[in-house]
Amino acid sequence: MPKVTVNRRLPIAGQSPGEDRLLAIAAALASELAVTRERLDTLERLCQAAGVIKPDAIEQFTPDPEQTKERDGLRKGIISRVFRPLLKDTASQ
Amino acid sequence: MTQSAHPMLPSATHDEVAQQLFIRDLKVYLAEQIEPHLRPVAEALDPGPASNARVETIYNGLHENENFRAYASLRRTSQDMLWTAISDSVERQSDELEAKAAAAPQLGSLTLDPDFKVPEYLADRDVHLMPGGYHDNSEGVSQGALMDRGGAVYMLGRNGGLMNDVRGHTLVSHLYTCYPDFEPARILELGCGIGSSLVPVASAFPQAETHGIDVGASVLRYALARARHLGVAVHLSQDNAEHTRFEDESFDLVFSCVLLHETSEAGIHNVMKESYRLLKPGGIAVHLEVPHRYETMDLWSKIRGEIEFDYNNEPNWKAAISADYAAVLRQVGFKDPLVGYQDATPAPQRGAGHFSDTSKGTFRSWFVASARKS
Repeated sequence: MPKVTVNRRLPIAGQSPGEDRLLAIAAALASELAVTRERLDTLERLCQAAGVIKPDAIEQFTPDPEQTKERDGLRKGIISRVFRPLLKDTASQ
Repeated sequence: MTQSAHPMLPSATHDEVAQQLFIRDLKVYLAEQIEPHLRPVAEALDPGPASNARVETIYNGLHENENFRAYASLRRTSQDMLWTAISDSVERQSDELEAKAAAAPQLGSLTLDPDFKVPEYLADRDVHLMPGGYHDNSEGVSQGALMDRGGAVYMLGRNGGLMNDVRGHTLVSHLYTCYPDFEPARILELGCGIGSSLVPVASAFPQAETHGIDVGASVLRYALARARHLGVAVHLSQDNAEHTRFEDESFDLVFSCVLLHETSEAGIHNVMKESYRLLKPGGIAVHLEVPHRYETMDLWSKIRGEIEFDYNNEPNWKAAISADYAAVLRQVGFKDPLVGYQDATPAPQRGAGHFSDTSKGTFRSWFVASARKS
């Protein structure tokens, strides 16, 4: 397991741990969005350059069961990363 | 030597790159977009130069401000995210990194000390909030990989990109500028970390036998593999920069790069004293630090120093930029110390460097204190 515990992590004086945690969640969420947006941009550019998809192809797409399973895994990964700060505090209670 | 990366550096997938760039840009956003709005808040809290607790008063007052607290919190969060993201990435490829380290050409050496005692100022905190700190003693090379990739992202690409080696090149440039005839036969870096400065210095003096010390086994293991893959022989050992195991007068060049602000007030003095002890007559000590001086800093920069101490675990920032290095060097025995700013360079050339008493600013200059032992 990667290390997550830091030696000497002082509270921000006057700030509630809850607010600190919420900000951390918001930052993690923004990170996820930025990563996804960048990946999507890569994909769209590659597809356009190769003439692979038509403009309405994304709207017309329906995943099959295997694809659905993989997408469930992606989504669960996002949740565990975004809410890691909550898990960390809860787990160390 | 101009290289953009090296074989030991942990790779990053498409998404890991995007994640690391996000963290870098979040840091830039907080510094460039949020901080300017907090400066006037700090100025409004200023009790004036007559106060003997000016910085403390402002700093305490800022904590009454919700926006300051959110900024401080997010700034630290960005640092937590940096280590988490890179730690996950290193973990993903740890088998490959170990295999790569094992397959490196057999250059140089590593001596670990199972009884090594970590200095108090590193044992009681993880500097820069890096989980495990510099002194991590875990198996393998993962902590070094974390430090290397994390350091490169933390420096925001302004210290030689993924090589993170401009400080080492700048130190060589200082030697070329101020001691042009100097040709060391034995070199030692105190606090070499993953070797980002040690490798360029060793490369500039390929005839020399080059040593480096640091406090953590994993970081040193990684540093050896990194140098080996770059084709540079370095001899590394787990040791304390204040009191090394080396004999008196056993080196021609003893140097450090941004080590002093990770020690203590007493540590600065002890490192200088140790440098003097280790040097042969005619040998040179060079200590490179951040290009700031506390007495000339504006109030906000001083506040940032407090934030760094409390919320980024910088143990010795204020003392390292306040110390009178010329006086300390004289105290430990050096006769004619040089203190000033060396222009940062990724490619030092004899006759082309510039050393003066004026800083050109962060990442454009580095503070250097140096002296020759008579």
